[in-house]
Amino acid sequence: MANMAVSRIKREFKEVMRSEEIVQCSIKIELVNDSWTELRGEIAGPPDTPYEGGKFVLEIKVPETYPFNPPKVRFITRIWHPNISSVTGAICLDILKDNWAAAMTLRTVLLSLQALLAAAEPDDPQDAVVAYQFKDKHELFLMTAKHWTNAYAGGPHTFPDCDSKIQRLKDMGIEEHDARAVLSKENWNLEKATECLFS
Amino acid sequence: MSAVASSVDQAITNATLGRSQTVCRYFLRGVCRYGEQCRYSHNVSTGRLEGERTISSPDVDAKPSTSRPNWVNAPIFVPRQKGYVTQNEDDEASGSAVSWAEIVGGPSEHCVKLNMGEPFSLEELCPYECPCPYGEYCRYRIHLELCEMCDQYCLHPTDQAQRKKHIRECLQQHEQAMELSFAIARSKDKTCGICFDIIMEKAGREKRFGILPNCNHIFCLECIRRWRQAKQFEHKITRACPECRVSSDFVCPSAFWVETKEEKDKLLNDYRSALGAKDCKYFKKGDGKCPFGNKCFYKHALPNGDIVDVGLPKRARKVHGSQNELIDLVDIYLLEYFDQRDYHWLELLSSDDISESSDYSDEE
Repeated sequence: MANMAVSRIKREFKEVMRSEEIVQCSIKIELVNDSWTELRGEIAGPPDTPYEGGKFVLEIKVPETYPFNPPKVRFITRIWHPNISSVTGAICLDILKDNWAAAMTLRTVLLSLQALLAAAEPDDPQDAVVAYQFKDKHELFLMTAKHWTNAYAGGPHTFPDCDSKIQRLKDMGIEEHDARAVLSKENWNLEKATECLFS
Repeated sequence: MSAVASSVDQAITNATLGRSQTVCRYFLRGVCRYGEQCRYSHNVSTGRLEGERTISSPDVDAKPSTSRPNWVNAPIFVPRQKGYVTQNEDDEASGSAVSWAEIVGGPSEHCVKLNMGEPFSLEELCPYECPCPYGEYCRYRIHLELCEMCDQYCLHPTDQAQRKKHIRECLQQHEQAMELSFAIARSKDKTCGICFDIIMEKAGREKRFGILPNCNHIFCLECIRRWRQAKQFEHKITRACPECRVSSDFVCPSAFWVETKEEKDKLLNDYRSALGAKDCKYFKKGDGKCPFGNKCFYKHALPNGDIVDVGLPKRARKVHGSQNELIDLVDIYLLEYFDQRDYHWLELLSSDDISESSDYSDEE
C-alpha cells in the first residue's frame, strides 16, 4: 500500500503547484529526496499576526500508511507560538493527530497550520511557557513572537531592546539562540535570565 | 476463383467430418445452439438450403466452377432487396440489383421454379434469415416482421400477444440499457477522496464505489472500508466521512455512483434486503445469539422459516455497567460488524463459482 501513499503525494504535489496559494506565495512545497516520503513545506506568516512577513519552513514526513495516517509535520524554523514547541518545533494540532481524516491533503494541512498561526489555542498548548505568556502577558508575547519571526523567519520587526539584552548574554559566553530562548521564557527580564542560566 | 477453391475445401472438410451439406436452418436464423458441433453445415456458400435437394444436381459440389447454371442454386447470394425475382422476371435486361449468382449463371428459370413450388406449411414460420430472400415466392407463408426497436425480424404478423410481449421486452431492455449508460456516464470521472484515483479506471474488484448513507462524498469501496477499519483513531472519527465528518453506520457497495436521492434510496434498500435474505452467522437459525439483536441487518429466522425478533442488543451490558457507555459500545460493535460483514457479502455476490460461496459458508 506504500504505492497509494506515493501516488497520492504525487497528485497532491501537483495540486499544490496549481493552487491559488502558490500564486499568492502563501504556501510552498518541495521535495527533499526522490522517494516522495519526505517533503519540505513553507508557509507565510498570516497578515495581522506577529508572524506576518515571516517564512516558516516545515518538515513533512509521509508515513507508508498515508493517507490513512496523518503526515508527520514539524516546524524547522523556530517559532514562538503556544501550540508549537519553541525547542523542537513539534506541533499540537488535532488534525495531525487523532482528528485526521483520509481526505485531507498536504495543501489542507499547510493551510490549517497557517490558520493555527492566526488563531492560537492557548488552552491546548504544546509549549506551556509560551501559552502562559500568551494568556498572562499578551503584549510581551506579541513582541517575543515578532522578535522570533524577525530573527528566524525574516520578519520585518526589529526590537533593539531585545537585541541588546541578547548581546549582553552573548558577552557572557551564551549562545545567541539559548540567550534568546531564556530571555523569552523569563519575559525579557535580564536578571532572571542570567540567574536561570548560571544557577 | 480462389474463393470457390476454399469453399470446396470447406465442403471436403465437412464431408470428412460427417457433416451434412445442408445448411442448418437454425444457423440461418442466427440461433443455432450447437455452433461448431452442429451436424448441418454452417457455411452458406457451400451448403444446400433445405428443400433444394430435388433441384440441385449431384455435380454441384463436385465441379462447381464448370457447371455454371447450377450456381443459381446458391440462394444466399441473392441480395436482400424485396421482390428481386419479380423485378428480373419483368425486366430481364435490367442491370441494377443483380446478384452474384445471376452474374455467374444468369437469371434462370430454376430460380423461379424453385420458389413457385407448393407451400410447405401455412402455420410454420419461414426458417430462413429474414427478410426472406424468396419474398412472396417463399413456400412458408408466415414471415416475421421487423421490430423497429431492436432492428430484428421477430414480430409475428398476426399473433398480437407475441407482438405485445416482444415490444414490452424490447422497451424494458431499452430502458435498462439507457439506465446503464446514464450510470456509466455519471460514474466515469468520479475520483475517490482517499486514493484520488478515478474509480471507474481501477482494475477488477477495486472498481467499486463505497456509498455512505448520510452524505454524498465519493470513495472507492476499498479505501472507505480501510479508513473505517483504521484502529489508530477513535470510532467517532473513522465512522465519519473523511471529507465532511458526517457519521454513517455502514458502507454500501455499488458498481456505479448514485446521484439522486431516489437512486440512493433504491440502492440502500436493495442492499439491506440482500443482506436481510442471508442468515445471520451469530443467530445460527436460533442456535446462537446475535450480539446485535434486532439492529442486525441479517436474517434471524428459525429453521422453519419463522422470523424472530431478538430484541435490542444485549452483549454490551455485560461488559459495561453504565448505560451511556453501553450505547457507545453497541455502536462500535455494530460498526465493525457491518464493515466486516459487508465485505464477506461482497465476496459472495461478486463470485460466480460455487467454491468461493462455499468458502463463505464455512466462515459462517
